[in-house]
Amino acid sequence: MTPQTSTNSTPIIQIQNVHKRFHTLRGTVHALRGVSLDVQPGEVVVIIGPSGSGKSTLLRCINRLETTDSGRIIVDNIPLTGAKNINKVRAEVGMVFQSFNLFPDKTALENITLAQRVVRKRRKAEAEARAHDLLAKVGIPDKADAYPGQLSGGQQQRVAIARALAMDPKIMLFDEPTSALDPEMIKEVLDVMLALAREGMTMVVVSHEMGFARAAADRAVFMDEGLIIEEGEPDVLFSNPTHERTKLFLSKIL
Amino acid sequence: MPDERDYPEVQPAQPMPPQHSGEIYDDLQFEVKESLGDRLMNWIAGLPWWAIILAVVAVAALYSMFTSAAYRDVLRALTDNPQVTTEDLFEVVQIVGEPTMIVGRYVGESQDSVSTVITSLLDDVIDSELVQRAGFLVREDPATITIQTESGRVTIPRQRITAMDPPDAGLGDNVSVEYIERVTVTGTLTARDDKTLTIRTVNEQIETFDTDRILSEETTTTPEGEELVRIEREGLSYRGRLTALSQTGISLVQEDETRVELRRADVAFLAIPTLTVALNAAAAERTIGPDDEVRIGFVQGTDITRALQELDSLDGIPVPLRYGAGAARAALISYADLAAMMGAVAAGELDAALYLSGAEDRLAMAEWVENNPDAAVVLPTPPRECQRNCTVTVKLRDDVVEGRVLERTADTISIQTVAPEFVVIDRDQILENRRTEPGACALNNLRGCNAGIFLTLRVTFMAYGLALIIGLFFGLMRVQKNPILYAFSTLYVEVVRGIPLLVILLYAGFVVSPWLRDNTPLKLSDEWEAVLGLSFGYGAFIAEIFRAGIQSISRGQMEAARSLGMSYPQAMRYVVLPQAVRVVLPPLGNDFIAMLKDSALISVLALPDLLQLGRLYISRTFRAFEGYNTVALLYLLMTLFLSLLVRVIERRTRLPG
Ligand SMILES: Nc1ncnc2c1ncn2[C@@H]1O[C@H](COP(=O)(O)OP(=O)(O)OP(=O)(O)O)[C@@H](O)[C@H]1O
Ligand SMILES: [Mg+2]
Repeated sequence: MTPQTSTNSTPIIQIQNVHKRFHTLRGTVHALRGVSLDVQPGEVVVIIGPSGSGKSTLLRCINRLETTDSGRIIVDNIPLTGAKNINKVRAEVGMVFQSFNLFPDKTALENITLAQRVVRKRRKAEAEARAHDLLAKVGIPDKADAYPGQLSGGQQQRVAIARALAMDPKIMLFDEPTSALDPEMIKEVLDVMLALAREGMTMVVVSHEMGFARAAADRAVFMDEGLIIEEGEPDVLFSNPTHERTKLFLSKIL
Repeated sequence: MPDERDYPEVQPAQPMPPQHSGEIYDDLQFEVKESLGDRLMNWIAGLPWWAIILAVVAVAALYSMFTSAAYRDVLRALTDNPQVTTEDLFEVVQIVGEPTMIVGRYVGESQDSVSTVITSLLDDVIDSELVQRAGFLVREDPATITIQTESGRVTIPRQRITAMDPPDAGLGDNVSVEYIERVTVTGTLTARDDKTLTIRTVNEQIETFDTDRILSEETTTTPEGEELVRIEREGLSYRGRLTALSQTGISLVQEDETRVELRRADVAFLAIPTLTVALNAAAAERTIGPDDEVRIGFVQGTDITRALQELDSLDGIPVPLRYGAGAARAALISYADLAAMMGAVAAGELDAALYLSGAEDRLAMAEWVENNPDAAVVLPTPPRECQRNCTVTVKLRDDVVEGRVLERTADTISIQTVAPEFVVIDRDQILENRRTEPGACALNNLRGCNAGIFLTLRVTFMAYGLALIIGLFFGLMRVQKNPILYAFSTLYVEVVRGIPLLVILLYAGFVVSPWLRDNTPLKLSDEWEAVLGLSFGYGAFIAEIFRAGIQSISRGQMEAARSLGMSYPQAMRYVVLPQAVRVVLPPLGNDFIAMLKDSALISVLALPDLLQLGRLYISRTFRAFEGYNTVALLYLLMTLFLSLLVRVIERRTRLPG
């Protein structure tokens, strides 16, 4: 993968000194403590880090499922803080969840067409044609009429990816898309993601799949305790981490 | 696998994955032949418990209801006395502008006598608005006249003129004309089509009676060729236990326990037992001591026990014989007839004589005393009629019925004494539909069924629909982050859930509704008060059901929908609510059943619902057992049917996988 970091292109995601605190009954959690990160169009960024380091929170801030306390996030030139057209931004940013979050009362096809019709206002035939294309692309063309409960985890996650892609997003966010899957299903999902990366989709992926990171990512980012500790090319970061914490973490997962 | 055995040809072509229960029987499938009885038993054993109860209850209910007159009576009362079919679709009051559109009457006036028709109809049920105009007669033709009034020219169809002064006015004369401008037709709508309405303005009246009451009969033929009879018939006779007697009325209970109320004015003949007491003049003076014997006479055949009872009940009447201390012995002596007995009294053989009589001879003893002024007999009190509990015979006056003979059987005759009258009006002549109310309750006119089970069902359905809306609204507010919406909806839920439904209904009926009536143009009917009270009370429970249902859907669903660019309302509408509805269907169904039962409370608002009609029936007939049985059974049948429906819906909406 060639990083498309040409000097004149502005980053499609700009995260500048973002802070996020959660106020709970048991106290305040400072989940993000000043995170800054730029993602260029077409770039694939993999985020790794220990549990509770704020990876999910950062991802969720990018499509405003969480609000930020301070700092700026600009997605596709639209500043998210106070953005009124938040739904428009969200439609440009697809998200894939660890727990799939498919709509259980709708078939795979309906899962993929619903937002197309409601948000993109596509006609039924058009939405269904797109859904069938995407199901073929993720490798399960014959599961259009299956309900999520009738699909394996890997199939469900691929439907979820197809659902996000159906909105023609410019950016895809993946939050540990394979960690709820059995080992034999991980590959089929990663293959889909790899193909997507090769097509030039901008992707931010929280994942500890080193193989995928090496093959697909332009950049790997290590987060701990709400901060970005270190970033770099995946090969470099994984084999030659500079920070002690990165070394410690990598020694645990490798 | 019974399915595969019954339909071997629909077995899937591909090999099925092995199924534990199926394997064992696959080889046996053509050997297992069950008899019809076995199949039935298996089928019944396979039914769930509620279906069995439902079936047993239904069979028992229907059996007892079709075999018992009492249950049939209650059932009819509770279902608003339905008929199978009716012609009485609506009760209407229509204002029509052109009297000429009254094209005919049942009795058949011809077109050219419309004005006569109208004038005669004016006297009955069709009211007309008369308008008076004065001015110069400026034009006359066979159909209309035109008058120049101060405000302009008016052309009036001659048919509509009811009075003209002077009647023989010529052109240029000053006239005053009274004519019909609007006609009000009041009656029962019996038929309608695209262009006309048929309204019955006079109801038919039919008298059916036994032919042996006919005293004389004469038949006349009207000029139209219709045969009319005039029958003089004997008044009806009633015999029974007297329960009340007053100046104006008599009521008695016949042997078959039916109660009859009669007006005294209709009575030709009334046989009430009358008690007369006669004393020997000497005995009246004597004081009777403990050892004396009192000889009391009566006429053979008299119910003497009854007579003595009557004597006891003669309050405020001087004791006929004066007693000293202690009780005297009484000797009761019977006589063949009154004259013999009175002779014995006069002769001093008897101290006293009792005479309990029927109607004709009720004054016989008094008359005897009058006719024999010299005999030593006195009447201490006037003859006294029995006031209650004795057996009386009442015969009504003979009367005359006139009309058309509808049917004559061996024993009975039916005479139409009043013919129905119909008016056909053109729809486009109607100026105003002043009133339309549903007519009689029948299978072809269910909107006319307003009371009993129909009211219960209608109020429940309307209230539940409204409660769903209220519940959804407040349920959605309960899951909002906005503190005002949350607090407001929580307040509603907590307050309403904490107040008994009965109190809420009373509020709706006696606080809210009167306030609305006084302060706004809204006038709530009793039924709407009930609907509002019920739905307001149940809205709180349903709001909680919706809240729980929405909250049971994982947050990930909302986030996934939002991450796809849906707005909050869109995500709610398309993703969360459809799933929540599946979750809440069973509790919603349960609440519907609960509301159906709680609708029995609306009788406090004087609504004739199922329970109220049952209670009315019971207070009328004292048949509490049958009455409450039927009420309970009808509620039970409705709720069992509904829970069955809930189960079916639940099964239908289950997700695959
Ligand atoms: N909605 C929330 N309310 C309160 N605290 C939260 C919330 N979401 C996250 N947190 C806290 O914020 C911190 C960061 O959480 P986050 O989910 O971003 O971690 P993560 O890096 O994704 O961890 P993992 O690898 O386990 O998914 C954690 O301490 C977590 O407990
Ligand atoms: Mg996480």
